[in-house]
Amino acid sequence: MRNASIIQFRHVTKQFNDETVVLDDVSFEIEGGKFYTLLGPSGCGKTTILRLIAGFIEPSEGEIFFNGKKINQVPANKRQVNTVFQDYALFPHLNVFENVAFGLRIKKMKKTAIEEKVSEALSFVNLQGYEYREISEMSGGQRQRVAIARAIVNEPKIILLDEPLSALDLKLRTQMQYELRELQRRLGITFIFVTHDQEEALAMSDEIFVLNKGKIQQSGTPIDIYDEPINRFVADFIGESNIIKGKMIEDFLVEIAGKPFVCVDGGMNPNEPVEIVIRPEDLEIRPEGEGKLSVTVISQLFRGVHYEAHCRDLEGNVWLVHTTKKIQVGDKLGLDFNPEDIHVMRFDESEEDFDRRIEQYTEDESLGK
Amino acid sequence: MQGKASPAAKIFLMTIIFILYAPIFYLVFYSFNSGGSMSGFEGFTLDWYRELLGDTRLLIIVLNTLVIALLSALFATMIGTFGAIGIHALKRSKNSILGLNSVLIVSPDVIIGASFLILFTIAGIRLGFYSVLLSHIAFSIPIVVLMVLPKLAEMNPSLIDAAKDLGASRWHVFTKVIFPYITPGIFAGFFMALTYSLDDFAVTFFVTGNGFSTLSVEIYSMARQGISLHINALSTILFLFTILLVGIYYVISQRSGLKLGGFRR
Repeated sequence: MRNASIIQFRHVTKQFNDETVVLDDVSFEIEGGKFYTLLGPSGCGKTTILRLIAGFIEPSEGEIFFNGKKINQVPANKRQVNTVFQDYALFPHLNVFENVAFGLRIKKMKKTAIEEKVSEALSFVNLQGYEYREISEMSGGQRQRVAIARAIVNEPKIILLDEPLSALDLKLRTQMQYELRELQRRLGITFIFVTHDQEEALAMSDEIFVLNKGKIQQSGTPIDIYDEPINRFVADFIGESNIIKGKMIEDFLVEIAGKPFVCVDGGMNPNEPVEIVIRPEDLEIRPEGEGKLSVTVISQLFRGVHYEAHCRDLEGNVWLVHTTKKIQVGDKLGLDFNPEDIHVMRFDESEEDFDRRIEQYTEDESLGK
Repeated sequence: MQGKASPAAKIFLMTIIFILYAPIFYLVFYSFNSGGSMSGFEGFTLDWYRELLGDTRLLIIVLNTLVIALLSALFATMIGTFGAIGIHALKRSKNSILGLNSVLIVSPDVIIGASFLILFTIAGIRLGFYSVLLSHIAFSIPIVVLMVLPKLAEMNPSLIDAAKDLGASRWHVFTKVIFPYITPGIFAGFFMALTYSLDDFAVTFFVTGNGFSTLSVEIYSMARQGISLHINALSTILFLFTILLVGIYYVISQRSGLKLGGFRR
């Protein structure tokens, strides 16, 4: 079943006065009830998308739709969208209760209804009993929860979260990831979460939009994006990866480091130069002479769960390997991997072409069997 | 302040404070002198105060002074607050406007007074209550602007976005977020304007006409006619009133400081 789209961007471009283009002809759809993440390095335009949805800025070109209605000119205070700001933006002159009640008071809701809703929202974020604390008395994590309560109390259709976890320490951040995900499931409203932290994005999202330089590079589920990055940027930005130059000899056969390997990708021109991605955890260490590649260990670090090693093959390519086996610098080893661990990327392929090609060759594959 | 001040520094500080306050206390002391001059203390008396209170002309002048101070501070605070908000919103011309604002504060009162006199004469405004009030409002506005601007600059701009996000109209953003945040600055500006107006002599001297006078101008003309201990008594009352104002300002800023000062992002 497909949910109707709640937010739609059609060819949206945003440039500021000094002519810098922050968003470049971006189109996408957001469905109701899902957890979306806008992921990218700073300056990629992710916060600009958030501010466009919130209504703090207007697009220079293109159209934004909310439930099918164009909302380009609708001011922020008339949109059914609430934001959790990066610095929380809690009102310092109001206590916790009044901060959460702010939106309801503007709506001139009855006093008893306000009390009921505020205490419900505070219990949603586990802050019962903190109603009459001043904001200055709250810790970073608690302020975060107040900011979330202040957003959800208004029962918006969408909640926008602008890097809300970046100011918290690692442990609290991990805990809040679980809590936010859980909260989204319980409330059933759309969350649009902005972050530059790929782990956060992979852990929490139903759908990820990877952005760079004002364009959406790739969108999809965390697994799709991790397993089948569309280009070098996405492969490099999400997780750790070995990105090696190769050549697509024919469908399902790729040349890496001078040797042909069977793979599961296809739909490209014969002998097309490509880049291949193999994740470090997919490389397996074998004794010397075994496996698909012969390598020498050139550096090694203990990372707790695993060893992280850099190995050089005979062609001079450097491979990053994660292994639980103890190895030493200077060891000569074999590296092994499976055909499905190889992911082939074409240069400058658009997302539509990429999707079409994947669809096509997976069909071919299933016909062939 | 960190560490302990050395004894020499303490003595220096005490000496400075003593030198600054000694003439005032000398003046206050002689306001209770039953002798007619400040040359020798003959005995304690409240006669000078009693005579002051019996002098209806002087009481009217005191009243004028207070009304001018309160009204001018009130108007200047309103205009100055909105002015500060406007200046804060500016981008390019902000610094030049701030510069113009500061010039008005540092330029000599005599020049401001003289220029107002010229202005009122050209505009055909009769010198008296209104001319004094207008000029006091005018020279107080830059002070209010200067007190309110830092609070605006200190305010996190995402607070305004947050308020809009929660459904606040422009008016609500102002009344529910900006105004409460800058209130300490507004109060500071009001009290500064009040004290500037109360003790202004030079500007007022130029723009008062016949039949209208404020305390500082009155004390000046009394002093010209010859030393009288009336002046001492009057000055003492003025001094106490100023201390009272400072006290009120201190209490207000302390209270709001407790509420806002502890907030750190």
